[in-house]
Amino acid sequence: MSSAGPEIVPAAIAFMRRVRTGLEAGLELPEALTRGATALPKDARETLIRVLDRLDGDYTEDEWGFDEDFAELVEPFFAFMFDSWWRVQVEGVERVPAHGRVLLTANHAGILPWDATMISVALLREHPLPRHPRFLVLDWAFDLPWISSGMRKVGGVVASPYNAMRLLEQDQLVAVFPEGVKGAGKPYSQRYRLQRFGRGGFVEIALRTGAPIVPVAIVGSEEIYPKVADLPVVARLLGAPYFPVTPTFPLLGPLGTVPLPSKWRIEFLDPIETASYGPEAADDRGLVLELTEQVRGRIQQALYANLVRRGPAFI
Amino acid sequence: MAGRRVLITGVGSQVGSLLAARLESDPDVEHVAGLDTRRPKVRLERTQFIEADIRSPEIAQLIPATGADTIVHEQIVRQPGPGMGSRTMHDVNVMGTLQLLAACEGVPTLRTIVVRGSAGIYGAEPHAPQFFTEEMAHMYPLRTRFQRDVAEIENYFETYARRNAGVSCTMLRYQPAIGPGMRTQITRYLSQPVCPTYMGFDPRIQLVDIEDALEAIVAAVRNPVPGAVNVAGPGTIGLSRMIRLAGKRALPIAAPLFGAITSSGQRLGLDAQSEDFQRLLRYGRGVDTRRLTEEVGYTPVHTTSQAIESWIEHGRVAA
Repeated sequence: MSSAGPEIVPAAIAFMRRVRTGLEAGLELPEALTRGATALPKDARETLIRVLDRLDGDYTEDEWGFDEDFAELVEPFFAFMFDSWWRVQVEGVERVPAHGRVLLTANHAGILPWDATMISVALLREHPLPRHPRFLVLDWAFDLPWISSGMRKVGGVVASPYNAMRLLEQDQLVAVFPEGVKGAGKPYSQRYRLQRFGRGGFVEIALRTGAPIVPVAIVGSEEIYPKVADLPVVARLLGAPYFPVTPTFPLLGPLGTVPLPSKWRIEFLDPIETASYGPEAADDRGLVLELTEQVRGRIQQALYANLVRRGPAFI
Repeated sequence: MAGRRVLITGVGSQVGSLLAARLESDPDVEHVAGLDTRRPKVRLERTQFIEADIRSPEIAQLIPATGADTIVHEQIVRQPGPGMGSRTMHDVNVMGTLQLLAACEGVPTLRTIVVRGSAGIYGAEPHAPQFFTEEMAHMYPLRTRFQRDVAEIENYFETYARRNAGVSCTMLRYQPAIGPGMRTQITRYLSQPVCPTYMGFDPRIQLVDIEDALEAIVAAVRNPVPGAVNVAGPGTIGLSRMIRLAGKRALPIAAPLFGAITSSGQRLGLDAQSEDFQRLLRYGRGVDTRRLTEEVGYTPVHTTSQAIESWIEHGRVAA
């Protein structure tokens, strides 16, 4: 990446010159940009042409609003966060089945769903047969501008059991965070202590659809927004579930939403097979709670092990 | 199956007229009657046109005289428009339905009622599942007047169906329809010079092509399934992509100012958006159509984006 640095400036000047002559010749802006793109290095040219195609509506979305093109366009940013910002180390990615329905179940931390995006990069980068996971996002995020539309384009859906069921029936790879808002909003002092896993709804869904559960332990996400206090009154006013106070937010304003560069580890654990129980087992309260506890226990254990292996949080 | 006698209410609407033409060409349909105050929009060969207001009690005499075994209730107004304030809209929707059901009591031959209702009953909600199934009608409070109208209409039909076990009542819940030559809220929206959108929101929109819309009614007439059935094209489309396909520009407006700006744009000749449509532009809506395929036996063939593309290619009418 850094070797491209010195070439960028002359290329950009040539690009602007061509765009300007194009515009003076009476071309519409998109066409002028396409002409100008010939002056750019190859990868930049391809990106620009893709962006222009998008402006004509020339791209596809699936019925969930997932937009593979968009996901690929923003991938370099998440890849940067993955490689340089958080220096994520991934283990056991090959334990995720390469095809068919799978339910990834992970611990959840941080106010924005960064952990979901990092799981996504891990699978796309390191899995022998990469595919885009879909993830269930806390529903209040879908009432926020930009976040709501960005999230759905990269594969996020509202955290609703109906969505999870339908996605699994379509043989997708689905990531859920059963701790939900309890996990994302816990104070820094409680870090890496798993909260209650809801009422085991995710196990019910896995049983009903026969999808294997792959527990995922994520270490590092707890340090990106160390929440030291909560302002419930402000949260009520904004309609958010909580309003966190971190060392940088809201002190530095929007800059405070930049996550801290902690060091991450993501470990995918052995899948728990559910198909043999049959779909009726979803109504068996005892079994559901037992499996929930089993998943939770394994993630908690893996969290402690990975914390030790990671060592210091930031260096 | 053969020898059906069908009465269509609201035959003067676009969908009503096309449906009458479609049923005329069906060999199983012996007789088609159409009720409306407006003349049908297409030339009809053998439809008996009954000029009457659905809100007036006189239909209690007119409808039994047709000897209908099937009634397709199409006279549901979906958006306020010229000459159709929200008051009149409510009147036609609710009073019209009441009068129709009162008239139905006097039709001993009646076996089937098919209603072209609206998926608007689900509303447009940020936290809703991405695909509403038929049981989710009352998941959220009814927020708009039209939503309340639709809920009331559905309620009347449910009550009617309970009391008349011999009549099967199919409530088709339609996503907005689009097709060549159609004038609906969506086509008016996409025909404006700029399309106001909510800044930062790009909801999923799901539509149904007019051909599929008609075939779904015909399928429900043939194979009436009691209860609600969603009707929509497969797939959804992002609002921004829809606007780009139509070759228009989006005008993003911050959410708190949206109502104020669009209503002053109305004075400049831009289109007014109904409350329902505004919510749709912000949050979007998708419905699950498995019941239509599995129980009614009709699978829509045009996806949402194909429906829009075909509207753009043929017969987009100038605003």
